Amino acid sequence: MYRPGRTLFPYLALAAVGLALVWSTTFSTLPQADFTFINGTELKSIDPARVTGVPEGRIVGALLEGLYRPDPKTLQPLPGMAVQHDLSSDRKTYTFHLRSNALWSDGTRVTAEDFRWSWQRMLHPETGSEYASLLGECVVGADQYHRGAVKVGNRVEIELEDRPNPAEPFPTGTILRSKVLAIDKPPEPKIPKGTSEDDEDKIKDAWKAKWQYTVEIDGQRQKYCKQPPAGDAQIKKCRQVLLDFSEVGIKAPDPATFEVTLLNPTPYFIYLAQFFPLCPVQRACVEKYGYPNWTKAGNIVTNGAYRLEFRRFRDRIRMRKSSNYWDAEHVQINVADALAVESPATGLNMYLDNQVEWTEAPPSAVIPELENRIDYLAKPSLAIYFYRMNVTQKPLDNMLVRRALNLAVNKESLCKNLLRAGQQPALSFVPPGLPGYEPASAGEYNIDKAQDLLRQAGFPGGQGLDRIEILFNGDGGDHRDIAQKIGSDWEKNLGVRVGYKGIEWNSYLAAVRQLSYSVSRNGWTGDYPDPNTFLGLFVSNGEQNSTGWKNPRYDQLIADAAREVDAKKRLQMFHDAERILMDEMPVLPVYSYVSVNMVKPYVKGFYPNAQDLHPLRDLSIDAAERRKYFQAKGTP
Amino acid sequence: MIQFLAKRLAWMVLTLWVVFTFSFFLMRAVPGGPFSEERKLDPDVKRNIERRYHLNEPLYQQYAEQLWSAMQLDLGPSMRMSDFTVNEIIAAGFPVSATLGILALSFALALGIITGIVAALYRQTTTDVGMMTAATIGIAVPNFWLASVCIVLFVFVLPIFPAAGWGSPWQLVLPVFCLGAPYAGYIARLTRTGMLDVLSQDYIRTARAKGLSPARVVVHHALKGAMLPVVSFLGPAAADILTGSLIVETIFFLPGLGRNFIQSATQRDYPVAMGLVLVYTVILYVLNTVVDMSYRFLDPRVKLQ
Repeated sequence: MYRPGRTLFPYLALAAVGLALVWSTTFSTLPQADFTFINGTELKSIDPARVTGVPEGRIVGALLEGLYRPDPKTLQPLPGMAVQHDLSSDRKTYTFHLRSNALWSDGTRVTAEDFRWSWQRMLHPETGSEYASLLGECVVGADQYHRGAVKVGNRVEIELEDRPNPAEPFPTGTILRSKVLAIDKPPEPKIPKGTSEDDEDKIKDAWKAKWQYTVEIDGQRQKYCKQPPAGDAQIKKCRQVLLDFSEVGIKAPDPATFEVTLLNPTPYFIYLAQFFPLCPVQRACVEKYGYPNWTKAGNIVTNGAYRLEFRRFRDRIRMRKSSNYWDAEHVQINVADALAVESPATGLNMYLDNQVEWTEAPPSAVIPELENRIDYLAKPSLAIYFYRMNVTQKPLDNMLVRRALNLAVNKESLCKNLLRAGQQPALSFVPPGLPGYEPASAGEYNIDKAQDLLRQAGFPGGQGLDRIEILFNGDGGDHRDIAQKIGSDWEKNLGVRVGYKGIEWNSYLAAVRQLSYSVSRNGWTGDYPDPNTFLGLFVSNGEQNSTGWKNPRYDQLIADAAREVDAKKRLQMFHDAERILMDEMPVLPVYSYVSVNMVKPYVKGFYPNAQDLHPLRDLSIDAAERRKYFQAKGTP
Repeated sequence: MIQFLAKRLAWMVLTLWVVFTFSFFLMRAVPGGPFSEERKLDPDVKRNIERRYHLNEPLYQQYAEQLWSAMQLDLGPSMRMSDFTVNEIIAAGFPVSATLGILALSFALALGIITGIVAALYRQTTTDVGMMTAATIGIAVPNFWLASVCIVLFVFVLPIFPAAGWGSPWQLVLPVFCLGAPYAGYIARLTRTGMLDVLSQDYIRTARAKGLSPARVVVHHALKGAMLPVVSFLGPAAADILTGSLIVETIFFLPGLGRNFIQSATQRDYPVAMGLVLVYTVILYVLNTVVDMSYRFLDPRVKLQ
């Protein structure tokens, strides 16, 4: 029997393949950008209130501009949206004077109200900003607003349950303002023993939702509650009860004046004013499109040197110079592409193949071959690689054991023979290089002293000592190599038995948080050039402590330092605190990071610095040198 | 035929539901969540974010809500790349992976079938041994090694192709070759085996005896039968290749789906992981159905039931 399908089928299949071939080779080839760089991973977001990472920071910093911007050479604040500021005599009130020629990309003026609203948005609990604590720690009322902590007598803003779109993260419902007259709380629920931290939070959260706030509105007393008891019409339902934002020390008295009142004199606050999470966003744009649509290329309104031209997921972000930027005449690069290249080897290949002008962190295996090139730029950075030690577990509950472990690690050899990119052995938790600060040393590599300490602890030659397990994230790779190097030092020098455990990132984070580890590897990058960003981690019950270590004197010193006006005394307090930290050794500093960038020699304005910040607006390309470079290479 | 397709469709819906359910509970059974970060969030803030994604609700409620929205083809926003929805992520990555996959598969088919036929016709000669050794090496060599060698040779030693990236046909050559090579190896071996099997059959001898040219015997009579094992291999292979390859996409910096597969799992981006698993299931199912249908055309003895 003749079936047309039988003879047709092979031809149909061939035609499909042919069509696919044609389709797949007809791409629109993009015009080349003036400057292309490797930006690590795809961004979590470009909303400054939602991001924390370095790749995000580069893009946010190009699209938006804060009160100040960092000098690419010295990292000191340069005028941005603010021209200058006045500091009150108690050093607690900063009055920023905004420039009059600062425009959003839609042509409207950037005002102090933009900053006030953006900072309020960042602090609002529903925004979920990971950096909200930066303001919470130092600005009057910011922490209470952020956590929704309200006391009787406070002025509050109550948001009713009438948001047009309940999924929107920022309040758009009716807001009532009043003073809290009373708070009725149901009896606090008992938390059964053995409840996990997470479940405990949930129980407390459910309890807090039942609190009833009595306020007076238009002369009438009224009760509001997030979860009013069923059947009681007297109690009205609301979505949020927050401290009235007018009680928070963030104010915009007039369009050109932005005023911030701090809890304590905070010398590093000026660096926060140039930190990307505190860049403003335009209220009209955010409210018109809502999240995430306001971040889309056609919608977003920016105030920085660049506009967002398009985003291709996991491929590139294209930015074009903004003509509305106040300093547009000094912005040299017109079109810039940021590529979401994750593999360092691929980044290096593209750099060597002249597809990009800047890549960072080449794979450590090839560093010996690169480090003598003129375009290899290495600089110690404000970041530390360290081991947390769980002081609630044997044998690490013994301070002498912890100190012995530290002295028995040959960090010098680790940096020279294994890491090889110029990393510095860390003797202190705060990396060196902070102006005016003298780090407290934990002692250099010393086998005799380490063995002696172990003997004093009651474990001569490591006898009777439990096996110590080093936990790290990801199996294979640098973390395992480092752990094995450190572990072999411990075995060789102290006779300690060491185990290694590499687990996947999320499981690792959970283990560290729940203190189910004995030694774990960690990294920390300073957010601003001040010891507080490092030493603040280890206060008792600090969110990032995760070692079980507590020391009231340490807590006192950190708290005192926050209140201290005298800069020298303040740094001395930090030094004393670090002395305690290094003596009791809940953390073992391993090495301080080095940032490595490879930048084509014809790119100007690129300076290696401690925070590895390289604002796009300050870079430029020397066209003549570029031509010469490519002529020498023999390629176009 | 229509009955066959309708039955397949019903099974696919059922399979999708099972896959959805299984993935949903499996994902939530592993420790950590999409908002676990080294910089620990304030518990209240974390709860607010979780509320935004309904993670605070009881599991069965989340399950019901998500099943309902998945049925409407709306998988919601990504929890990690929160500027994008899952649909946007799939729409951005799928064309790239599909392009790459189709080209790699065409390349693998062309190379594999020709090699297989030649090897079968010249069996037990050096040509045969050489080709089959090459095919075995193609299968055995890992992608990343092949890619590294290709980059060294064709980017740096002989600067012919760009190192990585997406946008021009030139940039596709190396990734297509690296992605297609192991499949070409498999197809060559399968074709050779199939050809050897068919060439010894009576109807081929008859065709030869009737005086048909050797080319006509091979292409017209033998190849169709010899293709059956290749075709059954193609279904799952095409599903794999169309949904992207982590290694090739990472090394050559291609914005396909492959990278999303791994990252959504390690970062606990539940909606993205779910979306990709469902897309993969659909593609695998559809391709297997196409393969089953093509048997009927290739082999008159096969009946679809």
